[in-house]
Amino acid sequence: MEYSNPEIPEGINTSTQHPLKEFFLLMGGILGIVIAAVVVLTLLADRLAVYIPFELEMQLATRVTDGLPAVEVESPPIENYLNGLADKIAAAQELPPEMQITVHYVDDDLVNAFATLGGHLFMFRGLLEKLPHENAVAMVLAHEIAHIKHRHPIRSMGRGVIFGLAITMVSSTLGNAMTDQVLSNAGGLTVLKFTRDQETEADQTALNSLYQLYGHVEGADLLFEVLEQGNGGEQLQMPEFFSTHPLSENRINHIHAFQAEHAAAATADVALLPDEYAKWLIPAIEGETATSSTLKN
Amino acid sequence: MVDLIIFLVLLALGYGFGRYAELKHYKSIIQREKEFRDIPAVTTKFPPLTKPLSDVELVSGSVVISVDYFKNFIAGLRNLVGGRVTAYETLVDRARREAILRMKEEARAFGGHIIFNVKLETSSIHKGRKNGIGAVEVLAYGTVLIKQ
Repeated sequence: MEYSNPEIPEGINTSTQHPLKEFFLLMGGILGIVIAAVVVLTLLADRLAVYIPFELEMQLATRVTDGLPAVEVESPPIENYLNGLADKIAAAQELPPEMQITVHYVDDDLVNAFATLGGHLFMFRGLLEKLPHENAVAMVLAHEIAHIKHRHPIRSMGRGVIFGLAITMVSSTLGNAMTDQVLSNAGGLTVLKFTRDQETEADQTALNSLYQLYGHVEGADLLFEVLEQGNGGEQLQMPEFFSTHPLSENRINHIHAFQAEHAAAATADVALLPDEYAKWLIPAIEGETATSSTLKN
Repeated sequence: MVDLIIFLVLLALGYGFGRYAELKHYKSIIQREKEFRDIPAVTTKFPPLTKPLSDVELVSGSVVISVDYFKNFIAGLRNLVGGRVTAYETLVDRARREAILRMKEEARAFGGHIIFNVKLETSSIHKGRKNGIGAVEVLAYGTVLIKQ
């Protein structure tokens, strides 16, 4: 066989395509897909939020509550009482087992209570002081637990979180930074706003569970009367809570309608609060704690 | 925003310098390959028996070429969708040819006329961040027949 040494033409092992062309093709394609995904996710955010596992929501909440000052190791007796009551209501509302409700007592004068991500409820001393019997306390708890049940907090966190979570699922390293950013942009947990529809839905669920628990909904309307007073009497510090809630008057009417439907209501006795209830609510000596001032932000 | 600007600057620098270096390198490779055409490098295990037996010597040439930021990025994008990583193809092609040229240079210094049993070895010698390939090394070695 004759040996020859021909000149080998260029471009066998390499591509003659300009590198910038490949760059723009790839960038265009990938950006297009990402943008399309974002658009679809934001459009479906509210509906998709329900499918976020509650476990994931709890993890998300932990990341945010980590920023709050640590809660004392020994929870105050009022918290134990509220948690016990919450468990009963949760059972009445048939919460899925993975939905854990944690009630936090906030030693602050605010007439308020709210539910947030991860099944955390915050009950303010200001509100608890004004509730005369267990049924009223149960109504507040039932209302907030109903928010958790219907996944209102995660839905209210909105598109940002859906997007962040979607990315978390795709890439863990990028995702963590992304959700943190989204959460910090959203301003934390205390400014969650629920829509009026969500409030009405929560009211309905709450009334049903109270009826199931006590056989009547006597005293449930008291919550809104208290809120009304707190609203008018004091300088309002958390406008979100009131402005997005349906008018208290409407809600009281709604409760009365519910009572009318369920005949047993008229003669029912309300359950009394524990004897030590008032003692539990004495404010801490140091006045405002760090926790409450953080929560007010 | 600052991050994005830094990223774009790095990308532009990577593209500018990388492209310049690559074009210059290819020019030099093509020119030197013509120069060394009289020393064939073949992969046969045994020397051609048609020539009278002569002295032999081990010759080698190695080169390390780094990727640039642009190539790295574009290869990362390729990672998502698959396909030919053309950005790295030129890199490895350049390294192979340069290594062979350096081996031939050594062979010429010995006064050799043919290199047989040529072998090539490739390794990525620097793993950058996130295990991305940072630089590629190619070693070419073979046995040169030296004219008496």
